Amino acid sequence: MRRWLGPLAAMLVVAASTHAAALHFAPAFIMSRAMDALAARGVALHRFTTPARITPQTQTVVRSSPDLYYALCRYDLSNPGVQLSVGMGDWPDYQSLSFFAAQTDNFATIRGTGRAVAVRLLPPGSAPEAGAIVSPTAKGVILIRRLAPSAERFAAAAAAGKADRCRLQWKDRIGAPGQD
Amino acid sequence: MLRLLAWIAALVAGGALGLGSALSMAGLWPDTRTLAFGHVDVDGWRGDFATGSEAADPYTRARVARHGLLALAKSEAVYLTRNTDSAGQRLSEDCTYRLTGGAMPAGWWSVTLYDAQSMLPANTDGALSIDASRMGAGAWEAVIAPERPADAAHWISSRAAGSLDLTLRLYMPEPALLQAPTRTLAAPRIERISCEGAA
Repeated sequence: MRRWLGPLAAMLVVAASTHAAALHFAPAFIMSRAMDALAARGVALHRFTTPARITPQTQTVVRSSPDLYYALCRYDLSNPGVQLSVGMGDWPDYQSLSFFAAQTDNFATIRGTGRAVAVRLLPPGSAPEAGAIVSPTAKGVILIRRLAPSAERFAAAAAAGKADRCRLQWKDRIGAPGQD
Repeated sequence: MLRLLAWIAALVAGGALGLGSALSMAGLWPDTRTLAFGHVDVDGWRGDFATGSEAADPYTRARVARHGLLALAKSEAVYLTRNTDSAGQRLSEDCTYRLTGGAMPAGWWSVTLYDAQSMLPANTDGALSIDASRMGAGAWEAVIAPERPADAAHWISSRAAGSLDLTLRLYMPEPALLQAPTRTLAAPRIERISCEGAA
């Protein structure tokens, strides 16, 4: 009997380790696959993509709402010398600017009903600054939601979205990386 | 030799046990469980107010990543889902339901129908949700059915949904809703009217 104790203990240790590892990596894995899918559907890096109204035929993310306008911007702040300049145009109804880290955390949300919003997103480890948010991960996604439950309101939200901004820039220099 | 095989079998079994239990407890496998889970239960509408936040436990994070990716934290929106009618029967495309409710403690709300894969069902009816802007401030009623009813002012189409669930979104929730959801929220009721093939 004693000779089976070793394998039995190893089985329990491996089971516990695999259990914890699967839970730890699952959100980032799923998020990574979702970001790849969004990129394949045309969601740009460092630019808000003009969205199509959510329908069964256009949906790309689980549990999207057909009553909301969603504009997405993927970002990559792997270079510590860069920052992201983010702006949300004016919209008279509900709108919000939300930030999601690579492991799916919604680490910041700014509500902007009836006003425009501007903020900078800084790479992980940056010192806090006024008017800026520090991202906990180098990669992530920014999402603008606008209440637009009809085709007419969606068209108006899309027009308001022309003032949205998601632009990578050098933190202490003028111009965008790759433009100098 | 037997000893070596025992060790290999133990390691493989441990890996399978750990992976299977993690995916099952997180609702990722088998792929038939939806977002109708969580510690908040308001008359059968279930949710987890830690959704989207760093405070979410690893099981919640994994399940939300699969079924509710890019969900907002509770200060901005809360999400409640149910996959049964008010009698406890699983919601199905084969049945017709009456959905009733009233004002809710949030700046805006909506009810949206999803299939078992957490996607909008593949139909072209343009009738997959109702929301506060369309239903007004008082009591309201809608019908959930695969075909548009002749006598219903508000319809949610379940065509091509199969096994379905409903997600209640409450944007800009009032503080009382976050503190005491069961006392604050009068959740919508789902009454089964009929089922295809039933006598």
